[in-house]
Amino acid sequence: MVSRRTAKLIVVGVIVAGTLVAESKREYRFSVGPKAGVSVMNPYGSISVKPSVNNTVVVNAFLHSDKVEVDKNQNGNRVDIQSHLLAGADADSGRVDYEVLVPADASITLHSNTGSLRAEKLHGDVSLEGPGAMVDVRDISDAHVHVKTMNGAVNLDNIQNGHVEVDSLSGDVTLNGVTGPLVQVVSTSGRINYIGDFGSSGEYRLTSHSGDIEATIPEWTSADVSARSVRGEVHDDIPLQPKNHTWFPLDKGRAFAGTMGRVAVSSTVVLRTFSGKIHLRKRSEKQ
Amino acid sequence: MNCVELQQSLAEVEDGNSVEQRVHLRACAACSALVKELNQIVAAASQLQAAEEPSPRVWNSIEIALRREGLIRPPRAAWSPIPSFAARWGVARWLVPLAAVLLLAVGIYVRRESLPNQLARQASVTVPVANASDLNDDDLMQEVADNSPEMKTQYAENLRQVNESIRDAQGVVDESPNDEDARRSLMDAYQQKSMLFEMAMDRPLP
Repeated sequence: MVSRRTAKLIVVGVIVAGTLVAESKREYRFSVGPKAGVSVMNPYGSISVKPSVNNTVVVNAFLHSDKVEVDKNQNGNRVDIQSHLLAGADADSGRVDYEVLVPADASITLHSNTGSLRAEKLHGDVSLEGPGAMVDVRDISDAHVHVKTMNGAVNLDNIQNGHVEVDSLSGDVTLNGVTGPLVQVVSTSGRINYIGDFGSSGEYRLTSHSGDIEATIPEWTSADVSARSVRGEVHDDIPLQPKNHTWFPLDKGRAFAGTMGRVAVSSTVVLRTFSGKIHLRKRSEKQ
Repeated sequence: MNCVELQQSLAEVEDGNSVEQRVHLRACAACSALVKELNQIVAAASQLQAAEEPSPRVWNSIEIALRREGLIRPPRAAWSPIPSFAARWGVARWLVPLAAVLLLAVGIYVRRESLPNQLARQASVTVPVANASDLNDDDLMQEVADNSPEMKTQYAENLRQVNESIRDAQGVVDESPNDEDARRSLMDAYQQKSMLFEMAMDRPLP
């Protein structure tokens, strides 16, 4: 049987532990109007943004130590959140993980050196940047999506009518169901993988230096496709109507160009790499 | 008037309206297209509604840029124990604008090189700043070591890769000055390097 003294100690311990846990989490709420702007600058740690149910911005911050604090500022329709590193903070002790709810039409700007950056189910502009951040953006419509990373992997899923620009040095970039007037990816050594139908009447530019580029598209895609690897090789599983004129030499195995589907509604697709491989694949019906 | 003279004169005479400009523009499709683009940009800019509220991102970017330049102070600057931006960055704070200027120079150069009249006359291609791939790399790595030591290895590897990509593309451009894709690869490589610098210096404000 537990003595009365032990029971007291347990109760006190639970209370203290609960207090510590509570201290590591902060919640902030801001009322905003339509098309608000929300930025979160976080040197270390993840940031996840989801839609809120009303015109409220809710910021849940999980602080990993007392060597970091959260600066918050609201100026009209704009909310700025910033992790403030105190003396002695490093990547571990300075870490803050954010879970943020914003109105779906809000524009967001997220920055983190490490950790993951996630945004989903929004239709405001999305700008994500972080050298080592893994980026995951999904279910975004009618918005600009701008991503900059150094070596973090980038995954964009179901972006409709987007103005998409991704710059990555060595991180792999995967676009699944991404369409819009402009979809542009530039990478140095990361792989670029596009899965989708290239929408209609958009401009799709996938460019790498040494990374491979693979586009997997359904047979019914309408697109004007040009592909060239200056020093690598290209493969084309889909028969294209050849073009009479291209701005580059159509060296066999290093370039191809042609149209597929209905020309009137076709998108312009440019796949270009310096030394990587390009592969235009036909998506099977099971995929 | 040739293509180069026309482009130089555009900065001095508006809209390509001098007699010499008009004569050249009638004969040169490339320059005609360039002037048309410039006019479209001017026309679009004049149609911007002054009363329209810019995106919050614009204000945010402006504020961040002003803070970086030291033109406005962050709220905690008055009592923060951390030294000022200029003191912490020293000469290295000019690396980003320097890289931007470099990119601009390369962009103008490549644009000019792509004009058909000039292509015919060019025997070889060199980037204006021949040693650009070595642009302050040591300074960059020192900044990373000081401020993001946990990412030093990653920055070093990416810097190596992007310098290699510049050398690769430069080699092909030297061999085949008229290869448009090789030129674009070179431009992209410089842009990627510029982005690396930008990220290395894009640290949170005190």
